[in-house]
Amino acid sequence: MTAQPILDAIKQKFGTAIPRADIPANNRLFVFVEPPALKPICRFLFEEQRARYVIGIGSDDRPFSGQFLVAHNFAFDPQRLLCSILTRVGPENPAVESVASVIPAANWAEREFQDLLGIQPRDHPYPKRLVLPDGWPDGVHPLRKDVPWNHCPPDYDENREFAFDEPPAGCLVVPFGPFHPTLDEPAHFRLYVEGEMVRGCEYRGFMAHRGIEKLAESVLTYNEIPMAAERICGICGCVHNVAYVQAVEQAAALAPPPRAEYIRTVMLEIERLHSHLLWVGLACHIVGFDTLFMQSFRIREPIMKAAEAISGNRKTYALCLVGGVRWEITPELKAQLRQVLDRLETEWKPVAQAVLQDRNLQIRTRGIGVTDPELVRNYGLIGPVARAAGVDIDCRRDHPYAAYDRVDFQVIVADEGDVWSRLVVRVKEVFESISIIQQCLDQMPNGPLQLSLEGELPSGRFGLSSVEAPRGESHHFVITGENNRPRRWRVRAPTYQNLQGIPAMIQDQQLADMTITLGSIDPCFSCTDRLETIDLRSGQQRVFAPEELVQLARNFRKTP
Amino acid sequence: MSFLSKIREVMICLGAGQVTLPYPVAAAEPVPERFRGRPLFNAAQCIGCAGCANNCPAREILVFDVCQEVRIMKYLGRRCTYCGRCADLCPEKAITMSREFETATQTIPDLQQNLELFMSTCQRCGRCFTEPGPLEQLMLKGYRFDALAEERWVYRSQAHLQNEPLVRDIDIELD
Repeated sequence: MTAQPILDAIKQKFGTAIPRADIPANNRLFVFVEPPALKPICRFLFEEQRARYVIGIGSDDRPFSGQFLVAHNFAFDPQRLLCSILTRVGPENPAVESVASVIPAANWAEREFQDLLGIQPRDHPYPKRLVLPDGWPDGVHPLRKDVPWNHCPPDYDENREFAFDEPPAGCLVVPFGPFHPTLDEPAHFRLYVEGEMVRGCEYRGFMAHRGIEKLAESVLTYNEIPMAAERICGICGCVHNVAYVQAVEQAAALAPPPRAEYIRTVMLEIERLHSHLLWVGLACHIVGFDTLFMQSFRIREPIMKAAEAISGNRKTYALCLVGGVRWEITPELKAQLRQVLDRLETEWKPVAQAVLQDRNLQIRTRGIGVTDPELVRNYGLIGPVARAAGVDIDCRRDHPYAAYDRVDFQVIVADEGDVWSRLVVRVKEVFESISIIQQCLDQMPNGPLQLSLEGELPSGRFGLSSVEAPRGESHHFVITGENNRPRRWRVRAPTYQNLQGIPAMIQDQQLADMTITLGSIDPCFSCTDRLETIDLRSGQQRVFAPEELVQLARNFRKTP
Repeated sequence: MSFLSKIREVMICLGAGQVTLPYPVAAAEPVPERFRGRPLFNAAQCIGCAGCANNCPAREILVFDVCQEVRIMKYLGRRCTYCGRCADLCPEKAITMSREFETATQTIPDLQQNLELFMSTCQRCGRCFTEPGPLEQLMLKGYRFDALAEERWVYRSQAHLQNEPLVRDIDIELD
């Protein structure tokens, strides 16, 4: 299928509102529309064309076109098309019609560009602050080009408190996080609880937002960003690395050499293997089954060693540069990797057999955190969460990248939509990943690893890239720019969408099931917030007043 | 069914035995060939092109021009991510990614490396180097004066040395 029929369908209905449309490749479509037509067109794509909502993006284009840019990205999974609906809005009091009332999945994305760029989503159903911290002054929008990357607003108000919603009548508020034993990263849920039952919640996250996108637009260069992108997430780093590089390559119309594509595929699947094994371990740990947690981590260890042998590091592979990869897979490494995979397969089989028939585990996870295809569609849920609910989407097959169009694999789907189904999907996907790597090792062609580039990349081009991370689709959007760096780089991590489904998943469930429900989407808050992690540790025990603690953290030199 | 699966789980555990290594009492297992540990700078091979400094994603390498003939390069080693881009881009292979990974320390200067380089003079500035590649550019050309004391990058370079009158015939393209 091509982009043309879909463009024709849009044109037939909204012909006069479309000044320009680009089809840079068969599987990409960029439609520029007049601002008033943005909402009707998005509605048409979502409701009538049954497109999946991916993300909304705001960009400050004033230095180039004098206007702001707003884009809503959609994926047509059966037609294998990624599509972006773009519109330009004026520089004074920029505003667009909100689509969140029609497409609930756009809720966060619109609030994000409201916070970071000051583009007002008109008639947004819930226009509360999302990304910026509580004390950040109103009217300062850090992603605007006239705000320097190291800007510290002088009127930052430490004492300003966030106005949380009132809980519904008859409900108590139980705070969950920011620091909670099941969460490795900060996120705050205010659960509205009636007895033992959760009736709703309010989310306040983005506590680890460190402006990596701003950094990329103003300080880093094209080939430095992959190393920073990789540090967005501690588990699916390579996914962000590959997704960014592919988006730039697509924007600049570069084709990496085939051997590089195979190596990317191998490393992505190694990452999926380690991530799934880690998740199965953690999920067991959350429900109190620590034996399997230990065994899962033991079985995972050789994979980490194999990754280290190939890339020089257990987790941050530093794999891609624009136009290729850095690490060769030599025949010796191939042989070593094959051995590891064989051993993994023989060890994972009995575990899968044991886990999938474990009644205790089933009692704890069946019928919990249930999603249905309708919820998946409305909130744009992806990855194992969507596949566990019977929605057959997988970027590796639907929007093939790297060498996925040259290997054979099955997309694992379950139909109950609960935590148990997500576990089943992940346990089985391990075998598919092993088979993908083996096929890649067999088929890998010889050739160069890196494309030789001639001159700088063209500016003002758009690139989209979706990569199937272990927890769902990672989507990167790039506008190429001047000075050897992009104008805009937008990262949509899978948890960004999956987390928005959590309030519906925990509705009318027991409070005790919150942990495993949240755990089951494999939440990755650093991805969602787009941070680079920093670890601070304090030794002795002492009680601090909040102000004291802040002071201490600011002047941190030595543990008191 | 479930009883069987419990027995299976027991077997998996028993089969595994003990896998934890006695590290740090015993030495760590050897690291693989390609391991990217702490980068080591060889002053004898370095030509001072600052390609590593300009393309370090973490901005961990500072450059300071004392005078026409002496350039100081300082590796900070604090937030270095060991990505190995400096070693990739070095035209003289003066940087190697070592096998060192036990680099925890109480005193940060332990990790730092200082290179005092003798720079050859040419008729222009002695700071004209070829770009490593189209996407890896020497963004800051000419003389550089990073803040060594504060250990910070300064996002400017100059066409003339500090405290020296500007010589008009030196005209270097600066960003």
